[in-house]
Amino acid sequence: MRNLVCCLILLLTIIFLMPTGSGAQEKPIIIGAPLSTAFLYGWDAERGMKLAAEEINKAGGVTVGGKKRPFAVEVIDTRDLEPGVPVAEALLAVEKLILDKKADFLVGGPIRSEAALAAMDLLNKHKKVSIATTGNLTPAYTKKIAENYEKYKYCFRNSNQVGEMMKEFVTLLEDLRKTHGFNKAYIMVQDVAHARAGGETMQKALTEKGWTVIDMKIYPTGTVDYSVGLIDSGKKGANVLFLWMDMPESAVLLKQWSDMKLKSLPIGFVNAAEQPGFWKAVEGKCEYLIVNLCNGGNAPAKITSWTMKFVEAYKKKWGLEPEGYGTSSSYMAVYQLKAAIEKANSTDSEAVIKALEEIDIMGVYGRMRFDKKTHQIIPSFDPKEGAVTGIIQWQSGKRVQIFPPKVAEGKVLVPPWMK
Amino acid sequence: MEIIVYGIINSITLSLMALGFTLVYSISRLPNFAHGALYITAGYFTWLFINKFAGFPYPFAIIAALALTSIIGALIYRFILIRVRGMEISEIIASYAIGLAILEGLRWGGLRGMTFTLPTFVTGSFNIMGVSVDYQRIIIVGVGIFIFIVLYLFTHFNRIGLALRGIAQDERAAMMLGIDSDMTAIVSLAIGSGLAGFAGVVLLPLGNIIVEVGYNVLIFAIAVCVVGGLGSWGGTIIASFVIGFAQILTEFFLSSHYQMVVALLAIIIILLIKPSGLFGKQKELEERV
Repeated sequence: MRNLVCCLILLLTIIFLMPTGSGAQEKPIIIGAPLSTAFLYGWDAERGMKLAAEEINKAGGVTVGGKKRPFAVEVIDTRDLEPGVPVAEALLAVEKLILDKKADFLVGGPIRSEAALAAMDLLNKHKKVSIATTGNLTPAYTKKIAENYEKYKYCFRNSNQVGEMMKEFVTLLEDLRKTHGFNKAYIMVQDVAHARAGGETMQKALTEKGWTVIDMKIYPTGTVDYSVGLIDSGKKGANVLFLWMDMPESAVLLKQWSDMKLKSLPIGFVNAAEQPGFWKAVEGKCEYLIVNLCNGGNAPAKITSWTMKFVEAYKKKWGLEPEGYGTSSSYMAVYQLKAAIEKANSTDSEAVIKALEEIDIMGVYGRMRFDKKTHQIIPSFDPKEGAVTGIIQWQSGKRVQIFPPKVAEGKVLVPPWMK
Repeated sequence: MEIIVYGIINSITLSLMALGFTLVYSISRLPNFAHGALYITAGYFTWLFINKFAGFPYPFAIIAALALTSIIGALIYRFILIRVRGMEISEIIASYAIGLAILEGLRWGGLRGMTFTLPTFVTGSFNIMGVSVDYQRIIIVGVGIFIFIVLYLFTHFNRIGLALRGIAQDERAAMMLGIDSDMTAIVSLAIGSGLAGFAGVVLLPLGNIIVEVGYNVLIFAIAVCVVGGLGSWGGTIIASFVIGFAQILTEFFLSSHYQMVVALLAIIIILLIKPSGLFGKQKELEERV
């Protein structure tokens, strides 16, 4: 009897310790995520990635070499969005992910363009494939890849870039000119490189299209009073306020705009206004504001059949809607990696690069395929053709997708005091 | 008209930011570099009381937050700054480190993103001779003037206030008269922190409660105090108006992105021409010699 009990215990122990054959027991594929986690573009990317990894692991993992391997996400705070933190910090984080955490692939950041550009050489040094999903809006990133493919072929970007965003803004403004007769713009941007470049490019583009650009005001980071510029815009008859700011104080600008009841429609890249909680934070004074969320799916919309499934899954896991730029792209990057690894049947960088160049999947924000020369996601205004943006307008407390027209869920509304 | 209206608002905003810093320095000769952190802390406490304790009325939330901020200020002196009192560099390093720890601690603890805001006291705006101004800014002007008057009365007609002034004028003589120097410093830190917090709860409804604002407030407070003369109350108010109007004029006639430059340039110019500041008494004799 005693022997029988001993045999039973031994048998149970063996069964318990035996590999089950499911993905969870195989060596995980490690995704390194260098992100500035104290900021929206960092934490929402982390959440997007973790959600995708969890879904993939639940479904069995990634099929590679005849085995099902799970994804594991390792995050390191690059702090690159914090003021005064040098680029070297972000590079250290990238290197730590590769050398210490043994990351097989990188997804996410660095977020700041300067840091992302500097990290490209590190990726080449360690031969690690990376998909940039958040921040890093500069066209220089993909230009570098095109100019020196062999060196920078490890770098991909599945999110939007500033050149394409400008095209989207100009198209939207031209639509507004036709429908509402708008033709005078007043540009207000933050005193940081990407915002100044954005403002200058928009000034040039609108002037070429025949718009009157009244002025371009540049505000230092941390400005808490925009009254002089706003009053000036009102006096000079602006009907569009074009904004490009990633500082939280842009909330003040919108409150002042709303309180002054200016006869202009605010449109732009306003980081603060991306989050669902922004409405409450500004007591609804962001009503009518149009914001570019860079990629579709960063707010609820019906872009593809996957979009709302993603939004609901995100809400279930994290308790709120996708918050802003970086969420849907980080989520999709994990799925793109899965598709590429399975296509290559290997985690070898060279094989995965080739596979990433070839994969063509319908994702959360449209058809997702990379340009073979630049490794930039191919954009489009039609989700059947490419990745679409998410331009939303705040309407009655909700972020309503209003552009591009093929996936718009509502029309652009103008404040009643403009009529 | 815009220049006058928004010049006054901007100037009073700056003086509110700087008053607490000046008060502590004028009484205890302590440069409280945790000033910006206390500004944010008061805003965050108010937010917590409103949002985490359901039904906590806004005015009570403000009072409770200010009381807590004042206690933190007193504790900072009682347990940390008292040990480095008189060692100027150590005072700066210690208080800056405390400020850094508070701000980064808040960030680490969850004060991130754009959704931490305080409601404005009154919503809406009205026109002053054709210039649209929101009610919150009008309240700031009123509250600012009220605080100047209260502080004047407190330091001229109240026993504690007179003791504070006594220590500020001549510490040894005041001690001989029975005024406790350390207790005075604790009181000054508590009132100074309360003033930083008060500025926070009045000014933060204009924007968001974010860690970075704490650093900016410290820079503006230092700029105003250096230009006005460290420890001079009158100088602080005059310097607020000089910098406040200079910023608005710069935005109006030059470009908005030079606003911060104006404040920092003012420090450099004053340090070159009159290092003790416009109304500073400290080192004035050395300068004359």
